[in-house]
Amino acid sequence: MLWRKSWLETRTRFLIGLFLLLLLAAGNVFEYPRVSALIPATRSIDSGGALGGLIRKAVELQRDYRGFIWWQWFRQNLTQTWTLFAVLLGTGGLLSQTSGGAASFTLSMPVSRTRVIGVRAATAIAELLALALAPSLLLPLLSPAVGQSYGIADALVHGACVFAAGLIFFSLAFLLSSVFNDIWRPALMACVVAVVLAIGEQIVADGSRYGIFGAMTAEVYFRTGGLPWPGLFVSAAASAVMLYGAAVNIAEQDF
Amino acid sequence: MADRRTIETLDLRKSFGTTEALRGLNLDVPAGSIFGFLGRNGAGKTTTIKILLGMTRPTAGEARVFGLPANARDSSVEIRRRTGFVSEDKELYEYMTVDEIVRFTAAFYPKWQGELEQRYLRTFELPLATRIKALSRGARTKLALLLALCRGAELLVLDEPTSGLDPAMTEEVLQALVAHVARQETTIFFSSHQIAEVDQIADRIAIIDRGRAVVAGELEELRERYRRIQLVFDGGAPQPAFRAPGVERIRREGRVLTVLSSAGAERIVDEARALNPVSVDVVPVTLKEIFLETVSAED
Repeated sequence: MLWRKSWLETRTRFLIGLFLLLLLAAGNVFEYPRVSALIPATRSIDSGGALGGLIRKAVELQRDYRGFIWWQWFRQNLTQTWTLFAVLLGTGGLLSQTSGGAASFTLSMPVSRTRVIGVRAATAIAELLALALAPSLLLPLLSPAVGQSYGIADALVHGACVFAAGLIFFSLAFLLSSVFNDIWRPALMACVVAVVLAIGEQIVADGSRYGIFGAMTAEVYFRTGGLPWPGLFVSAAASAVMLYGAAVNIAEQDF
Repeated sequence: MADRRTIETLDLRKSFGTTEALRGLNLDVPAGSIFGFLGRNGAGKTTTIKILLGMTRPTAGEARVFGLPANARDSSVEIRRRTGFVSEDKELYEYMTVDEIVRFTAAFYPKWQGELEQRYLRTFELPLATRIKALSRGARTKLALLLALCRGAELLVLDEPTSGLDPAMTEEVLQALVAHVARQETTIFFSSHQIAEVDQIADRIAIIDRGRAVVAGELEELRERYRRIQLVFDGGAPQPAFRAPGVERIRREGRVLTVLSSAGAERIVDEARALNPVSVDVVPVTLKEIFLETVSAED
Protein backbone atom coordinates (compact mmCIF):
# COMPACT_ATOMS: atom_id res chain seq x y z
CA MET A 1 0.00 0.00 0.00
CA LEU A 2 2.95 2.33 0.59
CA TRP A 3 3.78 1.77 -3.08
CA ARG A 4 0.35 2.94 -4.09
CA LYS A 5 0.62 5.99 -1.83
CA SER A 6 3.99 6.88 -3.36
CA TRP A 7 2.58 6.39 -6.85
CA LEU A 8 -0.39 8.66 -6.07
CA GLU A 9 1.99 11.30 -4.71
CA THR A 10 4.30 11.29 -7.72
CA ARG A 11 2.08 10.28 -10.63
CA THR A 12 1.22 13.81 -11.77
CA ARG A 13 4.89 14.78 -12.07
CA PHE A 14 5.72 11.45 -13.70
CA LEU A 15 2.89 11.52 -16.24
CA ILE A 16 3.58 15.13 -17.22
CA GLY A 17 7.26 14.21 -17.66
CA LEU A 18 6.42 11.12 -19.68
CA PHE A 19 4.01 12.99 -21.95
CA LEU A 20 6.49 15.81 -22.50
CA LEU A 21 9.41 13.49 -23.21
CA LEU A 22 7.38 11.30 -25.62
CA LEU A 23 6.29 14.45 -27.41
CA LEU A 24 9.88 15.70 -27.64
CA ALA A 25 11.15 12.32 -28.85
CA ALA A 26 8.53 12.20 -31.60
CA GLY A 27 9.26 15.82 -32.47
CA ASN A 28 12.98 15.02 -32.83
CA VAL A 29 12.31 12.17 -35.23
CA PHE A 30 9.90 14.12 -37.43
CA GLU A 31 12.22 17.13 -37.44
CA TYR A 32 14.98 15.14 -39.13
CA PRO A 33 13.87 15.54 -42.79
CA ARG A 34 13.80 19.34 -42.36
CA VAL A 35 17.21 19.42 -40.63
CA SER A 36 18.84 17.08 -43.14
CA ALA A 37 17.61 19.34 -45.95
CA LEU A 38 19.34 22.29 -44.31
CA ILE A 39 22.68 20.54 -43.71
CA PRO A 40 24.12 21.23 -47.23
CA ALA A 41 23.50 24.96 -46.73
CA THR A 42 25.62 24.98 -43.57
CA ARG A 43 28.83 24.63 -45.65
CA SER A 44 28.73 28.40 -46.11
CA ILE A 45 28.83 29.00 -42.33
CA ASP A 46 32.33 30.10 -41.44
CA SER A 47 32.38 31.40 -37.91
CA GLY A 48 35.45 31.19 -35.73
CA GLY A 49 35.99 30.81 -31.98
CA ALA A 50 34.49 28.35 -29.51
CA LEU A 51 30.95 28.97 -30.74
CA GLY A 52 32.00 28.38 -34.31
CA GLY A 53 33.69 25.16 -33.28
CA LEU A 54 30.55 24.01 -31.51
CA ILE A 55 28.39 24.79 -34.53
CA ARG A 56 30.78 22.93 -36.84
CA LYS A 57 30.76 19.96 -34.45
CA ALA A 58 26.96 19.98 -34.33
CA VAL A 59 26.67 20.16 -38.11
CA GLU A 60 29.20 17.39 -38.66
CA LEU A 61 27.50 15.09 -36.18
CA GLN A 62 24.06 15.65 -37.64
CA ARG A 63 25.03 14.69 -41.16
CA ASP A 64 23.76 11.19 -40.44
CA TYR A 65 20.62 10.12 -38.60
CA ARG A 66 22.43 8.43 -35.68
CA GLY A 67 24.46 11.58 -35.07
CA PHE A 68 21.36 13.75 -35.35
CA ILE A 69 19.51 11.66 -32.75
CA TRP A 70 22.45 11.66 -30.38
CA TRP A 71 23.03 15.40 -30.69
CA GLN A 72 19.39 16.50 -30.52
CA TRP A 73 17.88 13.88 -28.27
CA PHE A 74 20.42 12.26 -25.99
CA ARG A 75 22.78 15.23 -25.70
CA GLN A 76 20.15 17.90 -25.32
CA ASN A 77 16.41 17.27 -25.04
CA LEU A 78 16.40 14.04 -23.02
CA THR A 79 19.30 14.96 -20.73
CA GLN A 80 17.97 18.41 -19.88
CA THR A 81 14.27 17.54 -19.54
CA TRP A 82 14.97 14.28 -17.70
CA THR A 83 17.26 16.10 -15.22
CA LEU A 84 14.49 18.58 -14.50
CA PHE A 85 12.01 15.79 -13.76
CA ALA A 86 14.62 13.89 -11.72
CA VAL A 87 14.86 16.94 -9.49
CA LEU A 88 11.09 17.34 -9.33
CA LEU A 89 10.54 13.68 -8.44
CA GLY A 90 13.23 13.94 -5.76
CA THR A 91 11.39 16.70 -3.94
CA GLY A 92 8.50 16.26 -1.53
CA GLY A 93 8.18 13.30 0.81
CA LEU A 94 7.75 12.93 4.54
CA LEU A 95 9.29 16.18 5.74
CA SER A 96 7.44 18.42 3.28
CA GLN A 97 4.19 16.82 4.52
CA THR A 98 4.78 18.29 7.97
CA SER A 99 3.57 21.66 6.74
CA GLY A 100 0.41 20.00 5.40
CA GLY A 101 0.01 17.81 8.47
CA ALA A 102 -0.31 14.43 6.72
CA ALA A 103 3.14 13.40 8.00
CA SER A 104 1.70 12.59 11.42
CA PHE A 105 -0.82 10.25 9.79
CA THR A 106 1.96 8.45 7.93
CA LEU A 107 4.10 8.27 11.05
CA SER A 108 1.24 6.76 13.04
CA MET A 109 1.30 3.72 10.75
CA PRO A 110 3.12 0.59 11.92
CA VAL A 111 5.99 0.98 9.48
CA SER A 112 9.50 2.30 9.95
CA ARG A 113 10.48 5.66 8.54
CA THR A 114 13.23 3.96 6.57
CA ARG A 115 10.64 1.83 4.80
CA VAL A 116 8.41 4.84 4.11
CA ILE A 117 11.16 6.81 2.41
CA GLY A 118 12.69 3.69 0.87
CA VAL A 119 9.43 2.99 -0.95
CA ARG A 120 9.12 6.65 -1.91
CA ALA A 121 12.65 6.65 -3.37
CA ALA A 122 12.17 3.32 -5.15
CA THR A 123 8.92 4.50 -6.74
CA ALA A 124 10.54 7.66 -8.06
CA ILE A 125 13.60 5.73 -9.30
CA ALA A 126 11.34 3.32 -11.22
CA GLU A 127 9.51 6.29 -12.72
CA LEU A 128 12.80 7.89 -13.72
CA LEU A 129 13.89 4.66 -15.40
CA ALA A 130 10.65 4.73 -17.38
CA LEU A 131 11.20 8.40 -18.22
CA ALA A 132 14.64 7.59 -19.61
CA LEU A 133 13.78 4.40 -21.50
CA ALA A 134 10.23 4.81 -22.82
CA PRO A 135 10.81 7.99 -24.90
CA SER A 136 14.17 6.63 -26.10
CA LEU A 137 12.53 3.41 -27.27
CA LEU A 138 10.05 5.50 -29.22
CA LEU A 139 12.92 6.48 -31.54
CA PRO A 140 13.44 3.03 -33.16
CA LEU A 141 9.67 2.73 -33.39
CA LEU A 142 9.10 6.04 -35.22
CA SER A 143 12.28 6.24 -37.29
CA PRO A 144 10.89 4.20 -40.24
CA ALA A 145 8.23 6.91 -40.61
CA VAL A 146 10.99 9.30 -41.82
CA GLY A 147 12.77 6.62 -43.82
CA GLN A 148 15.45 5.99 -41.19
CA SER A 149 16.29 3.34 -38.64
CA TYR A 150 17.67 3.56 -35.13
CA GLY A 151 18.99 0.61 -33.12
CA ILE A 152 17.05 -0.56 -30.06
CA ALA A 153 20.36 -1.38 -28.34
CA ASP A 154 21.59 2.18 -28.89
CA ALA A 155 18.34 3.57 -27.50
CA LEU A 156 18.55 1.31 -24.45
CA VAL A 157 22.22 2.02 -23.69
CA HIS A 158 21.85 5.78 -24.06
CA GLY A 159 18.63 5.80 -22.03
CA ALA A 160 20.26 3.69 -19.32
CA CYS A 161 23.25 6.06 -19.17
CA VAL A 162 20.95 9.07 -18.77
CA PHE A 163 19.18 7.23 -15.95
CA ALA A 164 22.23 5.82 -14.15
CA ALA A 165 24.37 8.95 -14.30
CA GLY A 166 21.52 11.42 -13.83
CA LEU A 167 20.28 9.68 -10.68
CA ILE A 168 22.68 11.92 -8.80
CA PHE A 169 20.32 14.88 -9.32
CA PHE A 170 17.36 12.90 -8.01
CA SER A 171 19.41 11.83 -4.97
CA LEU A 172 20.53 15.39 -4.33
CA ALA A 173 16.94 16.69 -4.41
CA PHE A 174 15.88 13.75 -2.21
CA LEU A 175 18.61 14.53 0.32
CA LEU A 176 17.73 18.23 0.37
CA SER A 177 14.08 17.30 0.87
CA SER A 178 15.08 15.55 4.08
CA VAL A 179 16.50 18.86 5.32
CA PHE A 180 14.01 21.48 4.11
CA ASN A 181 10.29 21.11 4.72
CA ASP A 182 9.16 22.73 1.50
CA ILE A 183 9.53 21.54 -2.08
CA TRP A 184 10.91 24.74 -3.62
CA ARG A 185 14.27 25.12 -1.91
CA PRO A 186 15.41 21.53 -2.68
CA ALA A 187 14.22 21.88 -6.30
CA LEU A 188 15.92 25.23 -6.80
CA MET A 189 19.18 24.19 -5.15
CA ALA A 190 19.40 20.92 -7.11
CA CYS A 191 18.68 22.78 -10.39
CA VAL A 192 21.40 25.32 -9.61
CA VAL A 193 23.88 22.48 -8.92
CA ALA A 194 22.92 20.83 -12.25
CA VAL A 195 23.41 24.06 -14.20
CA VAL A 196 26.77 24.77 -12.51
CA LEU A 197 27.96 21.21 -13.26
CA ALA A 198 26.83 21.47 -16.87
CA ILE A 199 28.65 24.77 -17.37
CA GLY A 200 31.71 23.44 -15.52
CA GLU A 201 31.92 20.41 -17.81
CA GLN A 202 31.84 22.68 -20.85
CA ILE A 203 34.61 24.90 -19.51
CA VAL A 204 36.99 22.28 -18.13
CA ALA A 205 39.02 20.41 -20.71
CA ASP A 206 37.85 16.79 -20.99
CA GLY A 207 35.10 17.69 -18.51
CA SER A 208 32.42 16.10 -20.64
CA ARG A 209 34.37 12.85 -20.79
CA TYR A 210 34.61 12.37 -17.03
CA GLY A 211 31.75 14.52 -15.75
CA ILE A 212 28.17 13.61 -14.86
CA PHE A 213 26.65 15.13 -17.98
CA GLY A 214 29.37 13.48 -20.05
CA ALA A 215 28.24 10.15 -18.59
CA MET A 216 24.57 11.00 -19.15
CA THR A 217 25.03 11.87 -22.82
CA ALA A 218 27.44 8.92 -23.23
CA GLU A 219 29.49 10.52 -26.02
CA VAL A 220 32.06 7.78 -25.44
CA TYR A 221 29.46 5.16 -26.34
CA PHE A 222 28.30 7.16 -29.35
CA ARG A 223 31.84 7.46 -30.72
CA THR A 224 33.56 4.24 -29.61
CA GLY A 225 30.91 1.87 -28.29
CA GLY A 226 32.48 1.92 -24.80
CA LEU A 227 30.65 3.00 -21.67
CA PRO A 228 31.44 6.13 -19.60
CA TRP A 229 32.44 4.13 -16.53
CA PRO A 230 34.15 6.90 -14.48
CA GLY A 231 31.09 9.16 -14.64
CA LEU A 232 28.70 6.28 -13.97
CA PHE A 233 30.76 5.15 -10.99
CA VAL A 234 31.00 8.64 -9.51
CA SER A 235 27.26 9.17 -9.94
CA ALA A 236 26.31 5.79 -8.46
CA ALA A 237 28.58 6.28 -5.44
CA ALA A 238 27.39 9.85 -4.81
CA SER A 239 23.73 8.82 -5.25
CA ALA A 240 24.10 5.96 -2.78
CA VAL A 241 25.71 8.25 -0.19
CA MET A 242 23.02 10.92 -0.60
CA LEU A 243 20.13 8.44 -0.41
CA TYR A 244 21.65 6.93 2.72
CA GLY A 245 22.08 10.44 4.13
CA ALA A 246 18.41 11.19 3.45
CA ALA A 247 17.34 7.97 5.20
CA VAL A 248 19.47 8.80 8.27
CA ASN A 249 18.18 12.38 8.33
CA ILE A 250 14.56 11.27 8.30
CA ALA A 251 15.13 8.50 10.84
CA GLU A 252 16.70 10.94 13.31
CA GLN A 253 14.21 13.75 12.74
CA ASP A 254 11.70 14.97 15.33
CA PHE A 255 8.26 15.44 13.76
CA MET B 1 -7.15 -5.07 34.20
CA ALA B 2 -6.81 -2.04 36.48
CA ASP B 3 -3.30 -3.10 37.55
CA ARG B 4 -1.94 -3.08 34.03
CA ARG B 5 -0.56 0.16 32.70
CA THR B 6 -1.02 0.92 29.04
CA ILE B 7 1.04 4.11 29.19
CA GLU B 8 3.75 4.98 31.67
CA THR B 9 6.12 7.92 31.61
CA LEU B 10 8.86 8.53 34.10
CA ASP B 11 10.56 11.91 34.48
CA LEU B 12 9.97 12.51 30.77
CA ARG B 13 11.77 15.54 29.39
CA LYS B 14 11.89 17.16 26.00
CA SER B 15 13.64 20.35 24.97
CA PHE B 16 13.47 22.15 21.66
CA GLY B 17 16.57 24.32 21.73
CA THR B 18 16.25 26.37 24.88
CA THR B 19 12.52 25.72 25.23
CA GLU B 20 11.56 22.98 27.67
CA ALA B 21 8.35 21.38 26.39
CA LEU B 22 8.34 18.61 29.01
CA ARG B 23 9.96 19.01 32.42
CA GLY B 24 9.82 15.66 34.14
CA LEU B 25 6.39 14.35 33.23
CA ASN B 26 5.14 11.34 35.17
CA LEU B 27 2.02 9.59 33.92
CA ASP B 28 0.27 6.28 34.57
CA VAL B 29 -2.57 5.28 32.29
CA PRO B 30 -4.23 2.02 33.38
CA ALA B 31 -5.52 -0.38 30.77
CA GLY B 32 -9.20 0.06 29.95
CA SER B 33 -9.45 3.62 31.18
CA ILE B 34 -10.64 6.72 29.37
CA PHE B 35 -7.83 9.06 30.27
CA GLY B 36 -8.29 12.79 29.78
CA PHE B 37 -5.03 14.65 29.31
CA LEU B 38 -5.82 18.26 30.11
CA GLY B 39 -3.71 21.31 29.66
CA ARG B 40 -3.56 24.75 28.18
CA ASN B 41 -2.30 25.32 24.65
CA GLY B 42 1.45 24.74 24.65
CA ALA B 43 1.43 22.82 27.95
CA GLY B 44 3.15 19.80 26.35
CA LYS B 45 0.20 17.57 25.43
CA THR B 46 1.05 17.08 21.75
CA THR B 47 4.75 16.63 22.49
CA THR B 48 3.88 13.86 24.96
CA ILE B 49 1.69 12.14 22.37
CA LYS B 50 4.40 12.41 19.71
CA ILE B 51 6.91 10.80 22.06
CA LEU B 52 4.49 7.97 22.87
CA LEU B 53 4.08 7.25 19.15
CA GLY B 54 7.78 7.51 18.31
CA MET B 55 7.44 10.66 16.24
CA THR B 56 9.66 12.64 18.57
CA ARG B 57 12.48 11.47 20.81
CA PRO B 58 12.64 12.48 24.44
CA THR B 59 15.64 14.42 25.71
CA ALA B 60 15.60 12.41 28.95
CA GLY B 61 13.36 10.12 30.94
CA GLU B 62 11.34 7.14 29.87
CA ALA B 63 8.08 6.53 28.04
CA ARG B 64 6.57 3.05 27.78
CA VAL B 65 3.43 1.94 25.97
CA PHE B 66 2.19 -1.64 26.52
CA GLY B 67 5.40 -2.02 28.52
CA LEU B 68 7.47 -1.32 25.39
CA PRO B 69 9.94 1.56 25.18
CA ALA B 70 8.46 4.21 22.89
CA ASN B 71 11.92 5.45 22.01
CA ALA B 72 13.19 2.21 20.44
CA ARG B 73 12.50 1.88 16.70
CA ASP B 74 11.31 -1.74 16.62
CA SER B 75 9.06 -1.44 19.65
CA SER B 76 7.72 1.86 18.33
CA VAL B 77 6.45 0.06 15.22
CA GLU B 78 4.82 -2.56 17.48
CA ILE B 79 3.24 0.19 19.61
CA ARG B 80 1.78 1.82 16.50
CA ARG B 81 0.48 -1.55 15.28
CA ARG B 82 -1.62 -1.73 18.46
CA THR B 83 -2.60 1.94 18.58
CA GLY B 84 -5.13 4.12 16.78
CA PHE B 85 -4.23 7.78 16.47
CA VAL B 86 -6.08 10.96 15.55
CA SER B 87 -3.85 13.98 15.19
CA GLU B 88 -4.81 17.47 16.28
CA ASP B 89 -4.96 18.83 12.72
CA LYS B 90 -6.82 15.77 11.28
CA GLU B 91 -4.78 16.14 8.11
CA LEU B 92 -4.99 13.12 5.82
CA TYR B 93 -3.81 12.51 2.27
CA GLU B 94 -5.77 15.09 0.32
CA TYR B 95 -5.23 13.33 -3.01
CA MET B 96 -6.98 10.14 -1.84
CA THR B 97 -10.70 9.49 -1.82
CA VAL B 98 -12.44 8.32 1.37
CA ASP B 99 -12.52 4.78 0.01
CA GLU B 100 -8.81 4.86 -0.93
CA ILE B 101 -7.64 6.01 2.48
CA VAL B 102 -9.83 3.45 4.23
CA ARG B 103 -8.31 0.66 2.05
CA PHE B 104 -4.83 2.13 2.52
CA THR B 105 -5.11 2.20 6.31
CA ALA B 106 -6.81 -1.20 6.56
CA ALA B 107 -3.87 -2.82 4.76
CA PHE B 108 -1.56 -2.09 7.71
CA TYR B 109 -3.77 -3.62 10.39
CA PRO B 110 -4.45 -7.37 10.45
CA LYS B 111 -7.20 -6.79 13.03
CA TRP B 112 -9.00 -4.21 10.89
CA GLN B 113 -12.71 -4.34 11.67
CA GLY B 114 -14.61 -4.34 8.40
CA GLU B 115 -18.05 -4.48 9.98
CA LEU B 116 -17.26 -1.53 12.20
CA GLU B 117 -15.92 0.34 9.17
CA GLN B 118 -19.23 -0.15 7.34
CA ARG B 119 -21.17 0.93 10.41
CA TYR B 120 -19.15 4.13 10.88
CA LEU B 121 -19.29 4.93 7.16
CA ARG B 122 -23.07 4.84 7.47
CA THR B 123 -23.26 6.59 10.87
CA PHE B 124 -20.85 9.36 9.88
CA GLU B 125 -22.38 9.63 6.37
CA LEU B 126 -18.96 9.66 4.70
CA PRO B 127 -19.06 9.70 0.88
CA LEU B 128 -16.70 6.98 -0.36
CA ALA B 129 -15.90 8.48 -3.76
CA THR B 130 -15.18 12.01 -2.50
CA ARG B 131 -11.61 13.24 -2.34
CA ILE B 132 -10.43 14.18 1.14
CA LYS B 133 -9.55 17.71 0.07
CA ALA B 134 -13.25 18.24 -0.68
CA LEU B 135 -14.41 17.14 2.80
CA SER B 136 -15.52 19.60 5.47
CA ARG B 137 -13.56 19.81 8.72
CA GLY B 138 -16.27 17.86 10.52
CA ALA B 139 -16.25 15.09 7.91
CA ARG B 140 -12.44 14.91 8.08
CA THR B 141 -12.60 14.52 11.84
CA LYS B 142 -15.14 11.72 11.48
CA LEU B 143 -13.00 10.03 8.84
CA ALA B 144 -9.87 10.34 11.01
CA LEU B 145 -11.83 8.83 13.88
CA LEU B 146 -13.10 5.98 11.70
CA LEU B 147 -9.54 5.23 10.60
CA ALA B 148 -8.44 5.09 14.23
CA LEU B 149 -11.40 3.16 15.63
CA CYS B 150 -11.48 0.38 13.03
CA ARG B 151 -7.84 -0.66 13.52
CA GLY B 152 -8.82 -3.05 16.28
CA ALA B 153 -6.46 -1.07 18.45
CA GLU B 154 -5.88 -1.71 22.15
CA LEU B 155 -5.11 1.98 22.63
CA LEU B 156 -6.64 5.06 21.06
CA VAL B 157 -4.55 8.21 21.24
CA LEU B 158 -6.60 11.24 20.31
CA ASP B 159 -5.03 14.67 20.19
CA GLU B 160 -7.74 17.30 20.62
CA PRO B 161 -10.28 15.06 18.83
CA THR B 162 -13.04 17.66 18.81
CA SER B 163 -11.06 20.81 18.05
CA GLY B 164 -12.79 22.97 15.47
CA LEU B 165 -16.08 21.10 15.66
CA ASP B 166 -19.43 22.65 16.46
CA PRO B 167 -21.21 21.50 19.65
CA ALA B 168 -23.51 19.06 17.84
CA MET B 169 -20.61 17.44 16.03
CA THR B 170 -18.56 17.36 19.24
CA GLU B 171 -21.36 15.52 21.00
CA GLU B 172 -21.64 13.06 18.14
CA VAL B 173 -17.90 12.31 18.26
CA LEU B 174 -17.87 11.92 22.06
CA GLN B 175 -20.83 9.56 21.94
CA ALA B 176 -19.09 7.50 19.27
CA LEU B 177 -16.05 7.21 21.53
CA VAL B 178 -18.02 6.17 24.57
CA ALA B 179 -19.99 3.63 22.52
CA HIS B 180 -16.74 2.27 21.11
CA VAL B 181 -15.20 1.76 24.54
CA ALA B 182 -18.39 0.09 25.71
CA ARG B 183 -18.06 -2.46 22.88
CA GLN B 184 -14.30 -3.01 22.78
CA GLU B 185 -11.60 -3.44 25.38
CA THR B 186 -9.81 -0.24 24.53
CA THR B 187 -7.84 2.33 26.47
CA ILE B 188 -8.47 5.88 25.35
CA PHE B 189 -5.86 8.56 25.96
CA PHE B 190 -7.16 11.86 24.74
CA SER B 191 -5.76 15.32 25.08
CA SER B 192 -7.96 18.35 25.30
CA HIS B 193 -8.26 21.81 26.68
CA GLN B 194 -12.06 21.45 26.62
CA ILE B 195 -12.79 20.67 30.26
CA ALA B 196 -16.46 19.92 29.69
CA GLU B 197 -15.77 17.04 27.33
CA VAL B 198 -13.12 15.53 29.60
CA ASP B 199 -15.59 15.81 32.47
CA GLN B 200 -18.21 14.10 30.30
CA ILE B 201 -16.34 10.96 29.25
CA ALA B 202 -13.07 10.53 31.18
CA ASP B 203 -12.73 8.30 34.20
CA ARG B 204 -9.15 9.35 34.91
CA ILE B 205 -7.35 12.58 34.20
CA ALA B 206 -4.01 14.29 34.33
CA ILE B 207 -3.61 18.03 34.17
CA ILE B 208 -0.35 19.08 32.59
CA ASP B 209 1.09 22.52 33.00
CA ARG B 210 4.39 23.69 31.55
CA GLY B 211 5.54 20.17 30.88
CA ARG B 212 4.67 18.67 34.27
CA ALA B 213 1.64 16.80 35.59
CA VAL B 214 0.18 18.99 38.31
CA VAL B 215 -2.88 16.84 39.03
CA ALA B 216 -3.47 13.17 38.22
CA GLY B 217 -5.90 10.50 39.32
CA GLU B 218 -9.39 9.09 39.06
CA LEU B 219 -11.87 11.81 38.29
CA GLU B 220 -14.35 10.71 40.94
CA GLU B 221 -11.63 10.48 43.54
CA LEU B 222 -10.36 13.95 42.63
CA ARG B 223 -13.87 15.32 42.97
CA GLU B 224 -14.04 13.69 46.40
CA ARG B 225 -10.65 14.93 47.52
CA TYR B 226 -10.67 18.50 46.24
CA ARG B 227 -12.48 21.04 48.36
CA ARG B 228 -12.68 24.80 48.53
CA ILE B 229 -12.57 26.09 52.09
CA GLN B 230 -13.86 29.60 52.44
CA LEU B 231 -13.17 31.50 55.65
CA VAL B 232 -14.71 34.89 56.42
CA PHE B 233 -13.18 37.09 59.11
CA ASP B 234 -14.36 40.15 61.01
CA GLY B 235 -11.49 42.27 59.82
CA GLY B 236 -8.89 41.64 57.13
CA ALA B 237 -8.11 37.98 56.45
CA PRO B 238 -4.86 36.77 58.07
CA GLN B 239 -1.94 35.27 56.16
CA PRO B 240 -1.79 31.80 57.67
CA ALA B 241 0.80 29.08 57.09
CA PHE B 242 -1.14 25.81 57.24
CA ARG B 243 0.80 22.77 58.42
CA ALA B 244 -1.80 20.28 57.23
CA PRO B 245 -0.95 18.59 53.92
CA GLY B 246 -3.09 19.11 50.83
CA VAL B 247 -3.11 22.89 50.70
CA GLU B 248 -2.88 23.69 47.00
CA ARG B 249 -3.60 27.38 46.95
CA ILE B 250 -4.50 30.19 49.35
CA ARG B 251 -6.14 33.37 48.19
CA ARG B 252 -6.86 36.47 50.34
CA GLU B 253 -9.43 39.01 49.26
CA GLY B 254 -10.39 41.51 51.95
CA ARG B 255 -12.15 39.63 54.75
CA VAL B 256 -12.24 36.37 52.80
CA LEU B 257 -9.59 33.67 52.80
CA THR B 258 -10.05 30.87 50.23
CA VAL B 259 -8.07 27.65 50.47
CA LEU B 260 -8.03 25.00 47.77
CA SER B 261 -7.25 21.62 49.28
CA SER B 262 -6.45 18.43 47.46
CA ALA B 263 -6.62 16.21 50.54
CA GLY B 264 -7.62 16.25 54.21
CA ALA B 265 -9.91 19.29 54.16
CA GLU B 266 -10.97 18.43 57.76
CA ARG B 267 -7.47 19.00 59.15
CA ILE B 268 -7.18 22.29 57.31
CA VAL B 269 -10.56 23.35 58.69
CA ASP B 270 -9.40 22.43 62.20
CA GLU B 271 -6.33 24.59 61.78
CA ALA B 272 -8.39 27.38 60.26
CA ARG B 273 -10.79 27.46 63.23
CA ALA B 274 -7.86 28.49 65.41
CA LEU B 275 -7.76 31.72 63.39
CA ASN B 276 -11.28 32.59 64.69
CA PRO B 277 -13.13 33.09 61.41
CA VAL B 278 -16.73 34.30 61.48
CA SER B 279 -17.77 31.53 59.12
CA VAL B 280 -16.25 28.44 57.53
CA ASP B 281 -17.66 26.88 54.36
CA VAL B 282 -16.36 23.72 52.74
CA VAL B 283 -17.64 23.15 49.21
CA PRO B 284 -16.84 20.61 46.48
CA VAL B 285 -15.11 21.92 43.40
CA THR B 286 -15.70 21.17 39.74
CA LEU B 287 -13.06 19.86 37.36
CA LYS B 288 -13.02 23.27 35.73
CA GLU B 289 -12.16 24.89 39.07
CA ILE B 290 -9.44 22.32 39.76
CA PHE B 291 -8.03 22.97 36.31
CA LEU B 292 -8.11 26.74 36.59
CA GLU B 293 -6.65 26.76 40.08
CA THR B 294 -3.81 24.35 39.29
CA VAL B 295 -2.71 25.65 35.92
CA SER B 296 -2.79 29.26 36.96
CA ALA B 297 -1.09 28.61 40.29
CA GLU B 298 2.39 29.10 38.84
CA ASP B 299 1.58 32.32 36.96
